[in-house]
Amino acid sequence: MILTQTKALFIDAYRELNARKLFWITMGLNLIVVVVFAGLGIDEEGTSFFVWSFDSPIVNSSRISPELFYKSQFVQWGIPVWLSWVACILALVSTAGMFPDLVSGGVIETMLSRPISRARLFLTKYIVGLLFVALQVLVFSAGCFLIILIRGGSFSPEVFLAVPIVVLFFSYLFSFCALIGLITRSTIAALLLTMLFWCLIFLTNVGDGLLVMEREGRIVRVEDARENLDNQRVFAERRLEQLVSNGTPPRNTEGTEITDPELRLQAANPALKRSGDRLAKAELSAENWSKWAHRMFILKTVLPKTSETTALLDRYLITEDDINDLMREAAGIEDGVDIQAEPSGPAMEDPRAQARAEDAFESRSLAWVVGTSLAFEAVMLGLCLLIFRRRDF
Amino acid sequence: MTAIQLTGVEKIYKGKVHALRGVDLEVHPGEVFGLLGPNGAGKSTLVKILMTVIRPTRVAGTVLGKPVGDRHTLSRIGYLPEHHRFPPYLKGRQVLEFFAAMSGVSKKDRKKRSEELLEVVGMSDWGKKKVGGYSKGMRQRIGIAQALMNDPELVLLDEPTDGVDPVGRREIRGILARMKDEGRAVFLNSHLLSELEMVCDRVAIMVTGRVLRQGTIQELTEGKRGYAIAGLHPLGDEDVSAARDALAGLELRTEPGQITVLTDDPARVQPAIDALRSRGVVLSSVRPMRPTLEDLFMETVSSDESHGKPGAARGKAATR
Repeated sequence: MILTQTKALFIDAYRELNARKLFWITMGLNLIVVVVFAGLGIDEEGTSFFVWSFDSPIVNSSRISPELFYKSQFVQWGIPVWLSWVACILALVSTAGMFPDLVSGGVIETMLSRPISRARLFLTKYIVGLLFVALQVLVFSAGCFLIILIRGGSFSPEVFLAVPIVVLFFSYLFSFCALIGLITRSTIAALLLTMLFWCLIFLTNVGDGLLVMEREGRIVRVEDARENLDNQRVFAERRLEQLVSNGTPPRNTEGTEITDPELRLQAANPALKRSGDRLAKAELSAENWSKWAHRMFILKTVLPKTSETTALLDRYLITEDDINDLMREAAGIEDGVDIQAEPSGPAMEDPRAQARAEDAFESRSLAWVVGTSLAFEAVMLGLCLLIFRRRDF
Repeated sequence: MTAIQLTGVEKIYKGKVHALRGVDLEVHPGEVFGLLGPNGAGKSTLVKILMTVIRPTRVAGTVLGKPVGDRHTLSRIGYLPEHHRFPPYLKGRQVLEFFAAMSGVSKKDRKKRSEELLEVVGMSDWGKKKVGGYSKGMRQRIGIAQALMNDPELVLLDEPTDGVDPVGRREIRGILARMKDEGRAVFLNSHLLSELEMVCDRVAIMVTGRVLRQGTIQELTEGKRGYAIAGLHPLGDEDVSAARDALAGLELRTEPGQITVLTDDPARVQPAIDALRSRGVVLSSVRPMRPTLEDLFMETVSSDESHGKPGAARGKAATR
């Protein structure tokens, strides 16, 4: 009976999506994007888009392999822009009404009066919603896989990792959408509040990125200030030795010789005190930014990690060597030459800070990214089940 | 085994609304049972409790021999909710097959029964058309058909004739009779008292969350049936007195032009007829009289209201 009911629910969901036309609209849009992707080309002269060619001394097949070109397009545009934004919004629009419709008067009675538990009914519907997205991503990934295979000359089945990863990403939002749908029984409210929630996640991501970069920048400044202080101290010690050997040891304003060792050094090199003050100020600032970054980290831990989840695909699809190659080739730098930048401007703009922030982001484990996001989803689904199982309809 | 046996069903909603105040009911296999009551009496709440759509505050009893709320029993029950909304994108046949699948009916049986039931409810020509384009009456027919897809032992129909034209109502009455003949217990929830009167073996009258009367129409009209004796000309006071004297204590109601003797026994009416005839009264008719379900209903509702406190406890003595 379980199989019969589940199959019936799946078929009904397909019919519902089919009737709404959105399923086919989204599928059509997916195919258009795949065709556009297929229209991209790279050769020794540069790039092309269908019949149009764009000569480029940097982006051409002698610098970037076709395989890397197509993979990077998939990772840079296909996943974060298309699947994570446009297709996800379309999927939310398509599925936001699923639970408000289910619990509406005249429908829920006919469903609950069947020999199916409320929990199973809810979870089956939930999985059906996720399956909608899975199917869309599967079609898109299959198209991209073929393009990378035919045009990029690379057999890259890891492209299909987009299916579980994007479904996982969508499931965070869908669980929230389902909860709002159950509480308000309104499709519009479910959709709008989910969008707002998504914006909140986005802002948290932006805030987290900025705070981590600024924190790292401030730490770099602390390190710089400490190094500067050490240099000033060395200079002060040398200078003090010179003064003492010249018979002009440091004296205070009353003309008596200064006996305190630290004050003697400061008198020998007035910049030493300024360096010390600068270090203390930098340390205080770094501490403050660390506090705020930590608070944001806690908030982020509670919320689902949408961008980090989709970024997981980067880890598997494009290796670190690929990225280094891409950067080197794009910058026109030969192997063996380090990339260095002048430290200037705000703390977060320091390339060292950015590199450290990058390290800090990458140090966030898969378990943290997926585990805490799934914990959020589990809480949402738990609340949904609690409401759905206990409510009188 | 009774189809439904309930004792002391209570439902208090969160807002402290006391929807059901100890409902006792019995529905037997092979009978059509009608539940009637004014709006807000708690009829739909009771049906929804039986179908696990609403959780009762307190319940004791069984449905088809299993405790109320047993999910597996639902596969043996057919249900047509009031104001049901079937997915408009489904065709009539797909509605039947979908809900049958949800009740665990095999694919083969779904096909077979959907054909049969579309025929039974007179919707064979509409089975391949989308429900969104159906009239209210057609949706009701499809609703009744879906309630029967799992070949249920008990069928609960909430306002099945709502929106159905007189011809359709007659057809639905035929379907109900057929269900009864097939040995199914049918539980009807309706405002249409005349409809219920025509098809129900037993009825219960529910007012403000309590069943105030329950039984066969025969039982409920006990002591209220009688014979109306009408004269060709208005009866005078002396004619009425003579009839009353002849009846030896039987209750007698007078109305312009006729008197009604409250008895089931026609033999006991004869002395009144003789008395009137001996007084030269020309009788135009002698007819058996029975209160309609509507009379019973109105009497029950007004007696409850006359106590001035809706839903006030009336005790079990009020039932049956």
